[in-house]
Amino acid sequence: MMDYVDLVFLIMGISALSSVLFTFLTVKTKDLMYAVVFSSVQSVAYALIYFLLLAPDIVLVYVAVSVGIYPLIVILLVKKVGRYEVVT
Amino acid sequence: MDIELIKFMFMLTTISLYFNVAISLYGVVSKTNLVKKLIALTIFQDTVNMFTILIGYKLWRPGLLLQPPVLTDLSPTSETLREFVERSVDPLPQAFVLTAVVIGLAVTLFLTTIILHVSYHFKTVNVDEIGRSKRVYIHEEAV
Amino acid sequence: MLRDLVFASLLVIIILALTYLTYSGGLGDLPPRDVRVIASNYLNLTYNQGITWLWAASPEAVTAIVWDYRGLDTLFETVVFYGAILAALTLFRSVSKVPEFVSSAGLSLVVKRVTAIVTLAILAVAASTALHGHLTPGGGFQGGAIASVAPLLLLVVFGKQFFIERRISYSKLLTIRNASLALLGFTSVALLILGFLTGFQAYIFQNQAKTVSTLSYPPYLLDVPLGGSLFFFNLFEFLAVASGFTLVFTILLSRDETLRKELEGEELGY
Repeated sequence: MMDYVDLVFLIMGISALSSVLFTFLTVKTKDLMYAVVFSSVQSVAYALIYFLLLAPDIVLVYVAVSVGIYPLIVILLVKKVGRYEVVT
Repeated sequence: MDIELIKFMFMLTTISLYFNVAISLYGVVSKTNLVKKLIALTIFQDTVNMFTILIGYKLWRPGLLLQPPVLTDLSPTSETLREFVERSVDPLPQAFVLTAVVIGLAVTLFLTTIILHVSYHFKTVNVDEIGRSKRVYIHEEAV
Repeated sequence: MLRDLVFASLLVIIILALTYLTYSGGLGDLPPRDVRVIASNYLNLTYNQGITWLWAASPEAVTAIVWDYRGLDTLFETVVFYGAILAALTLFRSVSKVPEFVSSAGLSLVVKRVTAIVTLAILAVAASTALHGHLTPGGGFQGGAIASVAPLLLLVVFGKQFFIERRISYSKLLTIRNASLALLGFTSVALLILGFLTGFQAYIFQNQAKTVSTLSYPPYLLDVPLGGSLFFFNLFEFLAVASGFTLVFTILLSRDETLRKELEGEELGY
């Protein structure tokens, strides 16, 4: 019989696995705009893990910083320096 | 609740974070684009913060309901306090990570301005090309 | 590409070794059975009305640790924050003096109205997070980070013209930031100065009365816990973080031509 504590830990494990997937995609892709989006999806997975680890203080600051400010700033930077990573 | 499942999932989370550290370090070291390095560096930073939070967690046991380190009773008796101490997770790592996230953002903004300067100066953000152009410049100086 | 291959294989070996060690119990029980002794001491003392010479008068243990038990750590981390923002501003120091004559219309009317409503909501949430930091999860750092999303949205949607028309200038933001950081420092030594003037003994970063020094910030406002100095620290940190980030955003969101002016004359020796 599964109760909600098992569910909490199942969601934690699944978020951790998906964060590995999105980190891999972030590092692999050549399009920097996609890299920013993948990295913010990975941040959402981390925010979920922080919430499940009973750290509401960290969630409040982490969501604002990693999902709100980082992507906007890095998209701005990408717009100024060029979108594609040049392979040499 | 199933203690074995809980332990397995917690270990899975820890090992996934090892993989995240490895992938993001690879991105920092071997990618040539500075913006890509910056993105990988922020992932690395978040993962290290996550390790710190994982230290402060404790095991769910039957009959024990965990709670965040916030006391909800404003006139606590000694009984309430004992229950709070028994149920709450460790607040110390949370206090460290809290400041680290905001200061990490400030340092990242500083790195962003440096990358902007580099891109205006060298017209590229590829570290290999920057190194090559500097080598040519030094060669010309020597001649 | 041999270098990358060697590095990648080295990382794989390290990860496999760490995974094996963790799986065979190298880190002890995961998760641990109980928290450390120091953590249970903090949890026990933070709002213990029986031991008022060691309490922090705040039911929120994280804020109590951040600004009372380990307040000096946080003060020096605030100094690091100050330095990082200052360094970012110094790299584009001439941009602040260049007025932008080109006015941008911003995005469409629908987006503008929606953003106006959302901005008000963001500011309200940020203020409540910061000012209730000693009662509920939150505090100065969280409130400041949430509040600095609002000017970023305004800069993107309304354009930099919006800030200039409303007289929110660079120097005013800089003044707010420096004043709140100075007040932050003053709050940490206020009781010490009061002790010098009145002849009592007090410590740096003292919040509540101790056994040898009876000076204290007020623990209650009417019948609500105030947390003594925690409330003031949260308020000033909120202002410092929000205005510091807003400063960097106004610089970074300038037009490309304005930012390039910073590099003028570099070929003559920079």
